[in-house]
Amino acid sequence: VAVPAVRNGSVDPVSQFFASLVEPGRISTFEGESASLRFDVGSGARRERWRVQVTDGEVAVTRAGTPADAVVHIERPHLEAIVTGRLNAQAALLRGLLTCEGSMAALIMFQRCLPGPPGSTGRVAPISSQTVTEGRRSA
Amino acid sequence: MSAELVQILEGNTFVVSDDRGDIEASATDPTGLFSFDTRFLSRWVLTVNGERLTALSTDDLQYFQARFFLVPGTGTVYIDSKLSVIRQREVADGFHEELRILNHENEPVELEIRIEAASDFADLFEVKDALVKKGSYHARVAGASLVLQYQRETYIRETWISATATAAIDESGLSFRITVPPHGEWSTDLHVVASEGLPGESPAAPVGIRGQGGRRVREDMARGLEKWLGRAPRLECDWQPLELIYRRCLTDLAALRFSTLTMPGRSLPAAGLPWFMTIFGRDSIFTSLQALPFTSELAATTLLALAERQGTRIDDFRDEDPGRMPHEMRYGEMTAFEERPHSPYYGCADATLLYVILLDEYERWTGDTKLVRGLERAARAALAWIDEYADLQGNGYVSYQRRNEQTGLENQCWKDSWDSISYRNGDLPGFPRATCELQGYAYDAKMRGARLARQVWKDAAFADRLEKEAADLKRRFNRDFWVEDGEYFAVAIDTDGRQVDSLTSNNGHLLWSGIVDKSKARAVARHLMSPQLFSGWGIRTMAEGEARYNPIGYHVGTVWPFDNSFIAWGLRRYGFKEEAAAVMAGIMEAAEVFAGRLPEAFGGYARSSTRYPVQYPTACSPQAWSTGAPLLLLRTGLGLEPEGDHLSVDPALPKWMGNLEILDLPGRWKRIDAFGRGRVDTDRLTCR
Repeated sequence: VAVPAVRNGSVDPVSQFFASLVEPGRISTFEGESASLRFDVGSGARRERWRVQVTDGEVAVTRAGTPADAVVHIERPHLEAIVTGRLNAQAALLRGLLTCEGSMAALIMFQRCLPGPPGSTGRVAPISSQTVTEGRRSA
Repeated sequence: MSAELVQILEGNTFVVSDDRGDIEASATDPTGLFSFDTRFLSRWVLTVNGERLTALSTDDLQYFQARFFLVPGTGTVYIDSKLSVIRQREVADGFHEELRILNHENEPVELEIRIEAASDFADLFEVKDALVKKGSYHARVAGASLVLQYQRETYIRETWISATATAAIDESGLSFRITVPPHGEWSTDLHVVASEGLPGESPAAPVGIRGQGGRRVREDMARGLEKWLGRAPRLECDWQPLELIYRRCLTDLAALRFSTLTMPGRSLPAAGLPWFMTIFGRDSIFTSLQALPFTSELAATTLLALAERQGTRIDDFRDEDPGRMPHEMRYGEMTAFEERPHSPYYGCADATLLYVILLDEYERWTGDTKLVRGLERAARAALAWIDEYADLQGNGYVSYQRRNEQTGLENQCWKDSWDSISYRNGDLPGFPRATCELQGYAYDAKMRGARLARQVWKDAAFADRLEKEAADLKRRFNRDFWVEDGEYFAVAIDTDGRQVDSLTSNNGHLLWSGIVDKSKARAVARHLMSPQLFSGWGIRTMAEGEARYNPIGYHVGTVWPFDNSFIAWGLRRYGFKEEAAAVMAGIMEAAEVFAGRLPEAFGGYARSSTRYPVQYPTACSPQAWSTGAPLLLLRTGLGLEPEGDHLSVDPALPKWMGNLEILDLPGRWKRIDAFGRGRVDTDRLTCR
């Protein structure tokens, strides 16, 4: 799928994200899953649509407006934040930054392919026994 | 306010009120209507002609239904009331309340009935920590409804209140001017709906985070409970209290069932009622394991629901890793604004290991290879997590240390209080911590994963690899964790590889996992049944004699029924039938004292010195894994073990229990009956 990743002269995170989904072997977390989602981004004349079709783990992305198991309504800045890991999708849902019509299961499945926060390293400095014991003594 | 609290619930919606049915919550007071971790009513007060009422009696009809019999006036002197007021309340997508006023006079009576309503829309976390709200409040009258609203940016929550009778509605409540005929009655249905307040939403069609869930009508609930009890195996025992304990467990387990948004027709066990009515990886898995001989539905839903939320990325705020299973899921405002990490939070080191154990145990009981095949990817990711993400020290052991140092959990094992893991002298180890039971679970997960790989996923090479890794882990573990001079396993090893050498009940979980060398098992069992650990009622979390031992310390001396049920399973695994029977005897007798409902924990005082087990004060009752404990003890007592398509029965029951039979145990054998006769003299060990 040829998806333009450049928008207004700079790399567009939304286009880039959807393009990355169709790279072979990229999304192993969808293995065995089937579902479709449509993202209706913004509203009025500026509205854009992304449709993700997962068929037994294989991902296809189009710009079609055809019905899907889940239809997600969201403003563009929030979608950009989500696909770059700056906003958690579940938190956004609870906050009303996105709404989901149809299958919640499809949305929950989809969020598995989203990136983590940019600063997360998975690492943390060890803490010594002395620090813990004395910290508790003084507390 | 009356001291006694009444609580009813359905799923994660619950009401806590006083014994009049009134709610008058303060910021930190845990009364109100709660749904999805948010308080939707903090004030709900009924008056008749401006007067408050007095409770004559309160009936908890079902876990989702209560009835309040009231008379006007609050005098302490007996009043010969001319009126009766009956409120009957059922939890649904909020609650329904039928309000009836009965006139006992020969004359008609004119009354002004008033319901005062308000909400602070507090997050459960705020109720716990007394935090200040950041949004604004607004109340409006919309047609025949009073709408209470809270808004913070795009986050909107609303409470819709309406009545079937004509009411004068203002922004703080509903009033009814009524005339009740002589010996007649007036009634109205009040309906309170908790809503996400999305554009275009009305209470008739709640959408948003709720999905299709949470809208079962009351008839369905009553029928559902009947069906649940009807489907369960039948139990008969010479020792009468056991039948009561069993029925209590089934009913409480029904109340603890929780449907996720994505699987509205299915249920899994939530952790505890009412504050922990949500997915907890560890608690849901342990409870599903305990209940497996009696119902496999909870296990199946737990396995599916956790797989849906399994970690896929590195997220330090949520302590998420690829393959890691979630610890706790919440839906309130603080989670929504990422002030708390529960969307979901992953800081738990055992759920991912226990997941594979449950998957295997589920297949052994049910033969449901379809589900096991469907979850192959999730199980492989869980197994990969053990070596790729959980070995924080690169020493081949599973360790934990939170990366979210503000709101993450410090102790990510089941003994999650700050002082639970200590050296004999009371010092605390640093982080990361490799607690012993995690290594046991990791061993068991690999062994069971190997069985599934060979028999269901048809991947012999993967099975061989897992078995080899498990054998290597077992060899190293029995060398590194064994306290030579004490002849037991250290509770952990610290960042220097030194043993954290206190003697704890974790040794029992090691027997359950199978990681213990046969040559060491007798010494471990001896410790578990020694006066230092076994109180006569059960095995203490920490042995008497350790510096931090305290018989009423949360994880440092109390007895946890859930802990004991798994230890009994472990004792049976290594052939210690009489010891397992003694654990069963102590916990079942404690259950009798607690009228069938075991608390989360009780005091570790020696039975010889206290005639009754002393309850440890906890917020939640019933607690899921305490509810499941008697069920697992029935399994260990009868020695139920799936073997291929058969269920083997090898009873070892306390003598005083007499005959025990459980009829229609479901499984891959369809239905089977199990019988046992009490032959083990447990009185010496339990000091009965």
